[in-house]
Amino acid sequence: MIRFDNVTKLYGRDTVALERVNLEIDPGEFVFLVGASGSGKSTLVRLILKEMEPSRGAIYVRGVRLSSIPRRQIPRLRRDIGCVFQDFKLLPNKTAAENVAYAMEVTGQKRRAIRTKVPQILDLVGLSGQMAKYPRELSGGEQQRVSVARAFVSQPRILIADEPTGNLDPETSVGIMNLLQRINRIGTTVLVATHDREMVDVMRKRVVALEGGRVVRDMVKGAYADEV
Amino acid sequence: MRFNPVFFLKEALRNIRLNLLMSITAVTTTFVCVLVLGAALLVSGHVEGIIGSVRQDVSVEAFFAPDATQERIGEVRTQVEGYPEVSGATYISQEQALADFKDTFRDNPEIYQDLGSDVLPASLAIQIEDPSDAEAVAGKLKSAGFSAENLSYPQQTIERLNSVTSYMIWGLRAATALFLVSSVLLISNAIRLSIFARRQEIEVMKLVGASDGFVRTPFVLEGLLQSLVGATFAALLVVWFNYLFVDWVGNVLPFVPIASSAVNTFFVLVILMAVGAAIGVLGSFLSVTRFLRV
Repeated sequence: MIRFDNVTKLYGRDTVALERVNLEIDPGEFVFLVGASGSGKSTLVRLILKEMEPSRGAIYVRGVRLSSIPRRQIPRLRRDIGCVFQDFKLLPNKTAAENVAYAMEVTGQKRRAIRTKVPQILDLVGLSGQMAKYPRELSGGEQQRVSVARAFVSQPRILIADEPTGNLDPETSVGIMNLLQRINRIGTTVLVATHDREMVDVMRKRVVALEGGRVVRDMVKGAYADEV
Repeated sequence: MRFNPVFFLKEALRNIRLNLLMSITAVTTTFVCVLVLGAALLVSGHVEGIIGSVRQDVSVEAFFAPDATQERIGEVRTQVEGYPEVSGATYISQEQALADFKDTFRDNPEIYQDLGSDVLPASLAIQIEDPSDAEAVAGKLKSAGFSAENLSYPQQTIERLNSVTSYMIWGLRAATALFLVSSVLLISNAIRLSIFARRQEIEVMKLVGASDGFVRTPFVLEGLLQSLVGATFAALLVVWFNYLFVDWVGNVLPFVPIASSAVNTFFVLVILMAVGAAIGVLGSFLSVTRFLRV
């Protein structure tokens, strides 16, 4: 589903963000990407979204080499990848429902489809009562659930979450993680970059650990640190 | 992909409503710039009108010999009217010439007391389209049998008038162009500011998978609406002011040759609105594009 082939990413001339990363994520997997701040997690996520190009090596998403995708085709790639961010990245001038609807509108879906799908998905994330509220009127956890709903509404094959619980308290974080797990259960490949140790230890999923831009550990049913 | 124009229009209107202060800034900037531009157009229109009316008064006069027959006069007249430079010719008979003379000196009747009706020659007053052609027309008349003494045209006046007016007209056009350039810069800057404030929104839209066109369309529509509103108000004000001005000059300074025909108000209206709209579209298009590289 996602493959990194000897990928190196430099910022400027000699700041190494990722070094010779090899990684293969299969369809339907749930993968934690762990590591301290600056270990390269976000760089890895941004490379998958083709927000930037690797300095060396190749990245494949669903078998397509990203460097072969022209700029104009990037939106198409991103519609196949749902995205959840630490800072939610909701559109401030749109209500919860409109934020979710926007992700469907960009793909040119029919208005009737949007009108039926959006309430369903917001119900799924437990926000059916907050549909008409603006992001500033919602709590952090609620905003993140809107963001998950938006990422998932066009049923992408891949869902990437970059520190989805970074701004949330532990209880709220559990809710978000459960949501991601449910999305994974219906066949979506989920990649979560996080440094939320407890969460990773509890969930017992595949863990890929980054350190200084290198993959230092890759374990099925792993934990945040070795000794657990 | 299917584009829904209603969706884009709704987005644009909502953006205007939510960023009201920025929208008002953009509208006001366009209004002021188009107003100044319109004023420049009016001034140059009226000055060119005055210059034109002064130049139109330039004519070549050809005097006929006393023994010229009516056939000869008619012949010359038809010939002259056929010259491409000539816009019209008026025949002034001996009687008419004397009457004009008497009228000019009506306060000193002793001057013309003893004049017989055939003292002044009959003549042809020839109006020319472009005063610089006076020399050429005179040349043609010479080859048609008129001697230099029988032709009268204010050569020096024409030459001076020509050099002064062409400088003035070019100066005015340069000033108008300068106004145009500075309004383009000011308006697109106002639009750029309002888009800069929302660059993060644009980034999010791109990350959700919106194409460049999908993100850009509401912004461009917004820019178009804003600048069109500002430009329309300014253009209407300019045209209204022009009517007042022409009216006022006609009453207070009737000898100044300002005519409402010097400025084509419909043309001014269309030009100003088109300039406003074009700047709005172009400004927002370019500003959004800067933030689309996500």
